[in-house]
Amino acid sequence: MRIIALVKYVPDSGDEVGFEPDLSLGRVGPSSRLSELDEYAVEQALRLRTELAGATLTVLSVGPAEAESALRKALQMGADDAVLVTDEAIAGSDVFGTATVLSAAIRSLEGGLVVAGMSSTDAGLGVVPALLADSLSWPLLSQAAAVSVEAGLAKIARVDETGSRVVEAALPAVVSVTDQSGEPRYPSFKDVLAAKKKSVATLTLADLGVDASAAGAGSARVEVLAVSRNADRAAGRVIVDVDGSSVDEIIDFLAAATK
Amino acid sequence: MSENIVVLVGANAEVLDASTAELLTLAGQLGRPVAVVAGEATEALVAELGRHGAAEVHLVSCPQLSDSLVLAKAALLADRAVDAHAKVILVASGLEGNEVAGLVAAKLSAGLITDAVTARFEAAELVADKVVWAGKYTVTAKVLTEMAVLTVKPNSCVPVIAEVEAEVRQARFDFEPGAPAARVVSAEPTAATKRPKLVEANVVVSGGRGTDGDFAPVEALADALGGAVGGSRAAVDAGYVPQTLQVGQTGKSVSPDLYVALGISGAIQHIAGMRTARRILAVNSDPEAPIHRLADLSVVGDLKTIVPAVVARLG
Amino acid sequence: MKVLLFVIAVAVSIAAVALFVRGALTLYRLIGAGQSSPGRLGPVGKRLGNMVTEILSHRRFRARPLVKAAHWVVMVSFILLVPTLAIAYAQVLDPYAELPVIGGWPVWQWLLEIFSVGGLVAIVVLFTVRLRHPSDPEDASAARDWRSRFFGSTRWQGYFVEAVIAAVLVCVLVMHVLTSAVLARYPETAEAGSWVHYPLTSWVGQLFWSLPPVALETGIVVAATLKILVSMVWLGVVGYATTMSVAWHRFLGVLNVYARRETDGTPALGAAAPMYVDGKAFDIRDLDDLDEDATFGVGKIEEFGWKSLLDFASCTECGRCQDLCPAWNTGKPLSPKLFTLALRDQAAGMEHSLDIFAALKSAGAAGELAAPVRDADLVGGVISPDVLWSCTTCGACVDQCPVDIEHVDHIIDLRRHEVMVKSEFPEEFNGLFGNLETKGNPWGLPPRDRMDWAKGLDFDVPVLGTDVTSADEVDHVLWVGCAGAYDEKGKKTTRAVAELLHLAGVKFAVLGQAETCCGDSARRAGNEATYQGLATENIETFASYGVEKVVVTCAHCLNSIGREYGQLGADYRVEHHTQVLNRLIRDGRLNVVAPPEDERRQLTYHDPCYLGRHNGEYDAPRELLASLPEAELVEMEHSGSSSMCCGGGGARMWTEESIGTRINSARLDEAEATGASTVATACPFCAIMLGDAAASRDQAPAVTDVAHLVLAGVKRGLPNPTDESETES
Repeated sequence: MRIIALVKYVPDSGDEVGFEPDLSLGRVGPSSRLSELDEYAVEQALRLRTELAGATLTVLSVGPAEAESALRKALQMGADDAVLVTDEAIAGSDVFGTATVLSAAIRSLEGGLVVAGMSSTDAGLGVVPALLADSLSWPLLSQAAAVSVEAGLAKIARVDETGSRVVEAALPAVVSVTDQSGEPRYPSFKDVLAAKKKSVATLTLADLGVDASAAGAGSARVEVLAVSRNADRAAGRVIVDVDGSSVDEIIDFLAAATK
Repeated sequence: MSENIVVLVGANAEVLDASTAELLTLAGQLGRPVAVVAGEATEALVAELGRHGAAEVHLVSCPQLSDSLVLAKAALLADRAVDAHAKVILVASGLEGNEVAGLVAAKLSAGLITDAVTARFEAAELVADKVVWAGKYTVTAKVLTEMAVLTVKPNSCVPVIAEVEAEVRQARFDFEPGAPAARVVSAEPTAATKRPKLVEANVVVSGGRGTDGDFAPVEALADALGGAVGGSRAAVDAGYVPQTLQVGQTGKSVSPDLYVALGISGAIQHIAGMRTARRILAVNSDPEAPIHRLADLSVVGDLKTIVPAVVARLG
Repeated sequence: MKVLLFVIAVAVSIAAVALFVRGALTLYRLIGAGQSSPGRLGPVGKRLGNMVTEILSHRRFRARPLVKAAHWVVMVSFILLVPTLAIAYAQVLDPYAELPVIGGWPVWQWLLEIFSVGGLVAIVVLFTVRLRHPSDPEDASAARDWRSRFFGSTRWQGYFVEAVIAAVLVCVLVMHVLTSAVLARYPETAEAGSWVHYPLTSWVGQLFWSLPPVALETGIVVAATLKILVSMVWLGVVGYATTMSVAWHRFLGVLNVYARRETDGTPALGAAAPMYVDGKAFDIRDLDDLDEDATFGVGKIEEFGWKSLLDFASCTECGRCQDLCPAWNTGKPLSPKLFTLALRDQAAGMEHSLDIFAALKSAGAAGELAAPVRDADLVGGVISPDVLWSCTTCGACVDQCPVDIEHVDHIIDLRRHEVMVKSEFPEEFNGLFGNLETKGNPWGLPPRDRMDWAKGLDFDVPVLGTDVTSADEVDHVLWVGCAGAYDEKGKKTTRAVAELLHLAGVKFAVLGQAETCCGDSARRAGNEATYQGLATENIETFASYGVEKVVVTCAHCLNSIGREYGQLGADYRVEHHTQVLNRLIRDGRLNVVAPPEDERRQLTYHDPCYLGRHNGEYDAPRELLASLPEAELVEMEHSGSSSMCCGGGGARMWTEESIGTRINSARLDEAEATGASTVATACPFCAIMLGDAAASRDQAPAVTDVAHLVLAGVKRGLPNPTDESETES
């Protein structure tokens, strides 16, 4: 069975980001990388590959050519091969377009289990796995704090606002994992060297048989009108408390901060 | 005639939670609020929904709700939205909310904006703002489709009371998945009093050596803010808190919306574990403590008197 | 009877020599099975000279003058007695036999007498020293006897070796006494038996004049036989027990000193040894040349270089390393001695002695395997991973070792394998490595904040590349370092140094955001690839601005840029800020003024390991402190070359310290014991570690960098002294 881990190439959280002419968030920053949250997906996918006899792990990304570096990182962690879907027509896709492209790629790769991160660190939607499951007509096992697969049945523990639940579904399925699922491994240098020999295949929309109008800015259901930079975090204020004189200001600060 | 704005009522259907109240207020600004309750609802809740402006309340029973992760809820909401001819569907942001919203949007071919902070109509088109990239940018986006689905960040508006006699409609929804679906095999609700986990919490209140071993003010403030409790290495060393709660280079790294440092000097080893917090409040009696250079608001003073006063005010 | 004794002596000797030769061949094979150790055999002349002077001078014996003297005498007597063993065979047949040519030469005989008596006294001293450090690891399972440096040394072997020496010397002296007696009583030979030839024994010999000559002759024959038998028993036992390195060190220690890492006679400190892959030093820039099956570091015993295996086989079990090890002394499972012995026994495929086994067990240092297994994983199998990760690489063990064992390099080699092949290491390193690789600093702070330290200075700090195009235009390039750029205390030190350079009229520039971590922590954590990635990035930066010398405020930067980048083909002159400031004061470019009240205040100085032991600079910071009119320097229990680590070296700064007591706390105890109000140091890691320890106490000495004290003194002499609180830490 082919396990597919979905990864995204994003600017580092410490980077200053830019915006593309179409006002989408720039993906290529000075230290763009494999999204930290997707490292958890790769880690869980690697563990599942070890547990499941005969399984292989492909990492899949949709993005610019530079996104190959995110795939390389996943290959260093131990994925067997990588696929990058890159096409000018994809630029500006919203989550629906992205899900369309991903589901076409997953079908063409004949994946049997998809593992995704809980959300991207740049856009932070957390919607794509659900849309993907919908588009593939596969069951969705999302926001897993733990995953296991046995006898063709995937089982997750999901912990969210409402409590904890155990959810299961027959494969094929889409699983998304949280940052509580287990620390991603640090690839050894041996792994880094071994990854140099692994291939990153590049696919276009045409290769996937996806009509260019189904993805990209043209297909988006939302249009960005404006991007404005918010005032920089003001330099901190230091106040000296005299007999509780600071309490009012603290209350105001807490009210604003918990917005 | 104002458009119907469907609001998904929060998961805990016994009392009205703050984010649902906010959604109703926003819905009232956009049009005619229609509240959808998936599953059971008490009379008190229905009354509360009306008090916050819900013109209609749909009480929808669905036997498959608890067996299904999000699909049943999404299908139910989509069904109600169609029934109500909704223009906009509002869901509270969150792990589940975003998923439900996405699935509803997919089902209804609607545009989706997640984690919005404001929304308004501009020439009959829905426009919403969202804040991205660690609060640095605000993106304004317009929904191009007939119908819009929004998830809205908590604390985005102040709920207003708009006494309305809600029209209650009972409905039943049977969820029939068109494809293989996941099944919930066991569930355990979160205990109400439990503090959130340190690394997941939106608010973290940490104490250091300046607490002199008394963590009561730290815990009281954490509970008042619904936050988690943490500690500096010095506090861990002194045995005030267990090592599992240590925040810093060699402990946990946290990036909550709000980090409160009480009696923590702010050694670099600590800062490395919490500097990505969105807002930082520090209380420390030492005016020279490095934490004062990092915090958005620094109070030089005695946490033992200031914190209880703050907790008392927060109620 | 003489013939019978001779036959016995010869027969025993043949068997003993056979055993010994077999043992020597076994060791040759074991050590030869190691990987190549490039550069350890030549240049022959220099190495031989070094070896002879080091051994004859005993210069690598640190402290303990009595032990040093006693060992020297025993060593010389051993060398002198070897020829007398040869003649002993003849003496069994003919009690009057003597060495050809020199046998009757008074100079030779005086030497023999003096060193036999001296050797006997010395061995009694050494024996007493061993007895006075009782160690019974089996008894100590409940409470380890930390104090004894012999804890875990194989007791019977130590006593056996010393007893053999004593017995042989007694035999020699008995023979001398009897020979002088049998000679002195006859006028014809009286001179040959007199004090002229037997200066120390002839007086005792007089007591035996009354005995018949036959009895005396028989006594000589018996003593000669015993001398041979005792010596041969020793030779045989040693040959049989190839892990009896307390005995083998007489031969292997010599070879080990010959093959020592540094041919200038200094210990294997400063730079870590390169990581050899198939006999070639690893270079990240030549990855394409790497063999597909290349392995990194050491995972199994035969992956060590032969010199490392020789190290293990040479250990005398003296425990000087253990005695000063900060990990061991704070209750951690690492003892450099036990670590060495565990690897020695694994190399030989021999079970640990009972003492070693019990000590490893009680210290929590033992691996999972109870007995050596071929091809065993060293970490986990032979030693516990906690042994490996407890090391601060402070170098006290290497500095102390009288036979030049290179413990720190071995530790780093094992760590390299854990990190680069197995990816197993303390979990805190996940964050460390990620931060170093993506942000270029251990804390993961934004590179754009690297110049924050300079905010608020009343002069501009020129940055290379923006304000200054080349390093030629300035006197000094100040390398700020990660701690100097991000840590509050470190930033203050950087400011203080910058202000002092400015006040002294020195033109200097910095690299600003172009700096990345020097890589010290990555390298010592075993992550050679990340280290070299950082190092080569800095080397390229230096090249682009023509930087050839820099001033640093961090002892770790000093070591890696100054001592280690050379392994990557660079050559920089790196000075520590205490060295530069000391020169500026001596040259009169900075003047330190006493505080108005001029009260003497006591300071103590903590030697950063990477400034002191690793780079030999003990004086500059002390001279700086001495230049402060108000300061009186009091030394801690451990200072200078025997100083104790702050606990932050060897990448230990980035991990929790959950076993035993905290090293920084133990070190602060020593500082407190001096009564000093201030602990001065000269490395930001030390300042952070000791500062952390001080912060957890209600009352503790202030921890500060020497530079702050100097700046405070200099500012007092300025016309408009600025706010002094700025210079305090």
